[in-house]
Order: sequence, then structure tokens, then C-alpha cells
Amino acid sequence: MKERLLIANRGEIALRIMEACEELGLDYVVVYTRADEESLHVRRARRKFRIADYRDPNEILAVADEAGCTAVHPGYGFLAEDFRFARRVVKRSRPLIFVGPRWEVIRDLGSKLNVKRLAREMGIPVIPGTTEPLYNEIEAEAKAEELFQWLVENGEPEPRLLIKASAGGGGMGIEEVRELDEVRPIFRRVRAYAKRLFGDEGVVIEAKLSCFQHLEVQLLGNQHGELVHFGTRNCTIQSPGRQKRVELAPGFDPAYLTYEFSPERVLEEIVNHSLKMAEAVGYDSVGTWEWLVTPEGRAYLMEVNTRIQVENEISARISRIRKRPVNLIREQIRMALGEKLGYTQRDITFQGTAIELRLVAEDTRRNFRPLSGTITRFQYPRYPWLTVRTHVPQDRPYTIPTEYDPNLALLIVWGENTPQALERARRALEEMILEGHTSGGGPLHSNVSYLWEKLKEVYRFPV
Amino acid sequence: MGIDHRKINRLLQKLRSHPYCVYAIETPHTGYLRSFRVKEGSEVQPGEILFLLERERNLKPVKSRVSGRVQRLRQDLLDRFVEAGEPILEIWHPLSQEEVISEILQEALQVLRAPETARYLPSPEIEARLRKDGPGKALVHPGEDLLIMTFMKRETPIRHEGPPAVIYRIFFDPQEVVPAGNPLLGLCSPEEVPYIDRVLARIREEWPEQ
Repeated sequence: MKERLLIANRGEIALRIMEACEELGLDYVVVYTRADEESLHVRRARRKFRIADYRDPNEILAVADEAGCTAVHPGYGFLAEDFRFARRVVKRSRPLIFVGPRWEVIRDLGSKLNVKRLAREMGIPVIPGTTEPLYNEIEAEAKAEELFQWLVENGEPEPRLLIKASAGGGGMGIEEVRELDEVRPIFRRVRAYAKRLFGDEGVVIEAKLSCFQHLEVQLLGNQHGELVHFGTRNCTIQSPGRQKRVELAPGFDPAYLTYEFSPERVLEEIVNHSLKMAEAVGYDSVGTWEWLVTPEGRAYLMEVNTRIQVENEISARISRIRKRPVNLIREQIRMALGEKLGYTQRDITFQGTAIELRLVAEDTRRNFRPLSGTITRFQYPRYPWLTVRTHVPQDRPYTIPTEYDPNLALLIVWGENTPQALERARRALEEMILEGHTSGGGPLHSNVSYLWEKLKEVYRFPV
Repeated sequence: MGIDHRKINRLLQKLRSHPYCVYAIETPHTGYLRSFRVKEGSEVQPGEILFLLERERNLKPVKSRVSGRVQRLRQDLLDRFVEAGEPILEIWHPLSQEEVISEILQEALQVLRAPETARYLPSPEIEARLRKDGPGKALVHPGEDLLIMTFMKRETPIRHEGPPAVIYRIFFDPQEVVPAGNPLLGLCSPEEVPYIDRVLARIREEWPEQ
């Protein structure tokens, strides 16, 4: 029977999944909410169903049954890392294929504490901190003292700790501690917040690195035990709300910038550690291992993302499988349908530098305030080295829905080397036209100038 | 005093000539429309089941939130799979005295409208004041945070820009998304409160509760 995918997501990722399905000759069905009626993912799809909420598993599964789907692709965000959803998809009376890792893998790697524990057992470095939630402030203070000492010993000029709600996420429930005396009041505050918001008063403490680069390793595994990597990425440039804005592949470019450490050694180390953990858990889909690297070249595993990432395409763009282009979403679907890789790590080669620029309707001068409004003109240049991923139509005005993130487009630029990629990224930004008005009637701002400025900082440690 | 009595009279006249509010009842989510519990023309009360929607083997009774007469019932959708937001029927709801007052207050008061389609809630200070004094008495001062707008995963305060004002009416439900432009709060100066009270007394007299 021909497989039919339900695409349980919206916007540009839904479009990329549609494209991958078409390349593989698979049928697909999309879902959308009323707010997304004008999105290109809805306009381009032949079979579509209006649902109440992308986050509601009942909506997704009801449509999957009605449309005769055999698999569900969750994209990123929404239900992508919800192991209960993944488990339900495969265990229901009419089971479906979940395009992602096994639900047990999502459960085990979805918990940051669990990843830390596993990493320590395997001798993989993690940021020093607790591996179990703390409920007692005496224990918290003792742990904090130990962590402050570690930071001082490691040459941190201004040692800081982070106290976090262990059940938190998305930057919520995190407070910074500057000295030991602050531990108890902040611990109590975060514990009360955690109880109120997440229903679990568990708190974790970890050392805060003041200066680091944020690197990622892109892996692909399958149920046959095959495992390969598609290199590394650098996602250091983020907005103050820890939202990625400029990403590059590879993770470091020694030909562009030199460091006090050997970047080749660090990249090799994080790739090997990531592969080791993936192999240990039987990782069977696309996944990203996220790392922090200090100016001294020390790398610490931060977390694992058990899904396709927004920035997957820059890894694909610098990779070739036997000299052929790569599409990681297509590979992810193939693996979920039980296929074998058909190649090994030796067949994967890397060439050039790729940059992703996230175009967002936000006021960068006012604390990156998200903006809503109507886009009246949206145009971008066409070059063989540029791919633009967007759900924003170019032939009619488009009102940005206020229910979701104000992401408008991804500009993916490739160059033979980093200077060329940077020059092309600047050119793409300069030649792009985005006009519109906010719902208040003022001009619609985007982060184009911010992105342009930030290109000066790529591959550098933040000052 | 800024109250335009002629405008209010015109609005009252309009409401008298069409004393209904038409509520379109849509499916809250996808599913099979399994049965109707009302007929075309039947009178319903709040809480009464209108139809049953089955999704993932669960039957959801969709209830009426208002009283009124059922119209435009989509019998053709029975036992069919329906999308979320599909119109199923209409309820012609006779306007109550309180609803007429709400309409009139939107004319009589200085209305703060939703700048964005978002969720809104009173700021903690205003919420405490409303709890203590109640609408019609709670005062807001210039520069104070009046509301918090939850929008695109961020919380943005909305400040009161004008002179001191009384929060006379709250038009929104913090649990629901408010479309841009819809009324949030009705404000007036402390001196205007007796005039507004008088207008409302007049409506209560002219539009007795059914």
C-alpha cells in the first residue's frame, strides 16, 4: 500500500515536508487552523483539513484516520517531542508510523537531567550541576558552594550559577545567582514558581558559562542500527530571549578564524561523543546533540533534540552523499518507513559554508518585541546559492497570525568558503523587500538590519 | 459631559427594531456529527445540548451558551466528518437588558480596544483594585499598567495613558482570545460616573428584564 503522511505542523516546515513527500512519491495530507488559512502550506496542498489546534493529538489522529493516513510527521515544536503522543500514534488500535525516534528514545532523551546522567555514565562532559531535582535548600546551598568553587578553579572572572525549575523549558523559571547568600531566597522563589507553573517543585542548579559558542551535531540513525552524522552547526547568534537567529554549518571554520584551541579537535570530539550516545540508546531518526564550547576549547553537552531542527537544511546544504545533494527531511521519512540508509559515513562529504538567516517580524530595538500586521510586499532574489523557505505568499497581502511565532522566512545561503557565504548572505538581505504595516497602522519592522549586523560576529566568541 | 444622548437614542432605536443577536454555532473541533438534540425552530436554554460530535471514540455534547431560537440547522452534515469551525446552526438570541446595557456602554464610555488579536488579563494591581472596589469604582492612574497582553508567546503591559479614570466596564473574558479592535475596557472620568449611572437606569426602565 502506498504510504500517506499526515503533516501535523504549519508554515515553512509543513512546506518542506510536502516537498520531501513529493520527491519520495508519497501522498500527504495537511492540517491547518483558521488563523493559517492564507499560509502557503494550505494554499499549495491538495488535501487539507481545518483543525482547532496543532497541539491537540485528538485532532491530528481524527484527521489521520479520516484521510486514510499511514504515518504522521510532527515537524518541529507542537507535538514533535511529546513522547506520549509518539507512543499513542504507534500503540493505538489503528497504529500509524511516527516519523521520528521511538517513543522510548524521545522520553529518555527529552529530559535534560536524564541526558546529563547518561552522559556522565558514558564519560561525556556536561556542564557541572545537579543530575537529580533538588527539593531541599540545605542540599542546594552545598551544591552551589561546590559549583562556585569549580567556576573559580576554571578561571571564570565572575562566577554565576543558574537555578532552574527542573520541569521548566523555553527559558521559563530560570534565575541567576551571583553569590552564595543569594542561593536560599532564589531557590525558594524558583521552587514556588515551579510548583505554581509546572506542578513540580523540583529545582536544578548548574554552573553558568559566561562565554561560549553554541554548537550542534546533526545525526541520522535508523531501526537497522545504522548511524551517520551530517557534520556540525554553529548557532551562537541568538536574540536575548535565546531564540536562534543566524546559524552556520560547519560548526567552526579554521580557515576563516583561528582560536586558542584546535577547532578540528573540538569538532571531532563532539561528533564522536554524540555518536557514542546515539549508538548507546539505539537512536533511529534525525536528531541534534547540542553543545557549549568555551574559549579554551572545552565542550559540554547541553541537550538532545529528538526531532528535525529548523536549521537542518544548512547541514544538508554543505553535505553530499556520493556527490548528490542531501535532504534530511526526506532521509528522516525514509528511515521512519523502515528503509536502510544505502550509504555509509564514508560516502558523505562536506563542502563550503552554509548560513541560515531567520527573518522575523520583530522590533529589535524594543527588546525584540514580536510584531503582528500585514505584509503587503514580499520579494526576494533568485540565485542558485540561495534557498528561501517561507509560508508567506508573494502574490497577495498576508496578515501575520498572532497565535504563533512571527517567523516569516528562512534564507539559506551557500558559499564555497565562509567569506563568500557571508558576502552572499549580505547580498540576499540587501536585495530582499519586505513591506507592510502593523495592526496599529505603523510600518512593519523586521530583523533584517539586525541580521546584517550580526554577520560580522559569526564564529566569534561573544564579547 | 461627553455623553451623546442622540447617539444613544439612535442605538436604542436600532436595537428595538432588531432585538436579537445571532450566534453562529460552529464545531469546536473535528469529528463525526452524530446526532442533533434540537430541531429547526426549537427554543433552547443555556446549557442545553445542541448536537453530539464524535472524535477518537469520544462523544462530545456541544451545548448552547445562550437562550434563543434554533435556525439554519445543517441536517445535511449528519453522520459526516466535519472540520473544526464548521457552522452547524444559528441561535437567534433575544437581547437581554444586560446585553443592551453592554451595547450602550460601548457608545457612552471611552473604550479601550484590543490592539492585537491576543489574550488579555488585568494587571495584578488593577485586578486587586477591581476585586476590592468593583467595576464602576476602581480607579486607574496615568502611567499605570492597566492590562497584560499575551501575544506571540510574550507578555506586554498596556499602560493607561490618559487622566485618572474609573474602570466602569470589563468587556472581555481572560480565558478567551480577543480579536483586534474588540472592546476590552470601558473607562470614564470619576465625574462622569453619575451620568452613566443615570443612562443605565433609563435603559433598565425602558428595557425591562424578560
